[in-house]
Amino acid sequence: MANRSAETGHGANQITQIHRRQRWMGWLVAPIWVPLAAFWLSRRLAYRVHDLVKIRQTYRELRQESNAPLLVCANHLTLIDSFLIALALSGSFRYLVDFDSLPWNVPEESNFANTSLNRILAYLGKCVPIRRGGTREDVAYVLNRVIYLLQRGEVALVFPEGGRSRVGRIEATGAGWGVGRIVSAVEGCRVLCVYMRGEHQETYSDWPIDGERFHVSLACIEPKSESRGVRGTRDLSNQIISKLSELEAEYFSRRKVNPSTPETTKPGAKGDLV
Amino acid sequence: MEQSEIMGNVVKILTPWVKNEDALQSVSMETSILDDLKVNSARLVDVVIAFEDEFDIEIEDEDVDSVNSVGDAVTLISSKLD
Repeated sequence: MANRSAETGHGANQITQIHRRQRWMGWLVAPIWVPLAAFWLSRRLAYRVHDLVKIRQTYRELRQESNAPLLVCANHLTLIDSFLIALALSGSFRYLVDFDSLPWNVPEESNFANTSLNRILAYLGKCVPIRRGGTREDVAYVLNRVIYLLQRGEVALVFPEGGRSRVGRIEATGAGWGVGRIVSAVEGCRVLCVYMRGEHQETYSDWPIDGERFHVSLACIEPKSESRGVRGTRDLSNQIISKLSELEAEYFSRRKVNPSTPETTKPGAKGDLV
Repeated sequence: MEQSEIMGNVVKILTPWVKNEDALQSVSMETSILDDLKVNSARLVDVVIAFEDEFDIEIEDEDVDSVNSVGDAVTLISSKLD
């Protein structure tokens, strides 16, 4: 199934060439943009992540303990979630040493590839833009790129909800089946579910507030389904969304017990650096 | 099953997900499911599963890649019924 998937739309060879070229270009410029992005997030915007050392250790162990493909699936509340998650999972130096551990992203084309400059930056920044509501062939091409790179041992980050949650909570009903399709096509695919939320993030926004402090929860699962075809794919998507919803419920239950919320935590307070 | 019968059932299944009801009034084989009928792309999976249940067929993920219009859906279902 995996090979058949990767061969639909663009040919498998074409995907290989496109991917190899983009990865190489991204690797070339990574020593410039990766540290700059880390500096910008941690110093200029003063973002902080709780338990950063533990989060990075978990991600490192997941990468080291198995060669099985790893897909990162996260909730989505701001436009820069993918940057924040990437820099929560690992430090910029480690990404330069192990470039394949820096996740590829699938941003909405109208947000990140809407001008020539943005298209270049997205290209160099390991992005495969997708057009929401695009033709099925366009969507299939992007999914096949992700399937291909996971099979190569690289990491991809996707947002199963398909966009920023308009209600500020995981939108289970908004989840498509793209993520399930990726998982079903990649044998032995592990899914690292990431729930990330800033303490002041009540609903979706373009940016978190300056000095925001983020809580990140991780859970690694291996979704399986007895069903076949599209039904099986939807089942896999639902398992991932359910796990994210669980992480969200745990976050809010912790917050209720220990409300280190906007009332008690000032933006920019000391904590681990992104 | 005749194509017109399949078409009728396809439109019936699509109806609850259609946001542009004007387009539904003049639906044809060329009508785009996403662009014209404004069906949410995330909900396409539910539509396809409803096709499976209604016509007692199994549709693979890759089959859906060729479905952009109502006519594409009718063609896909016809091929599965043959």
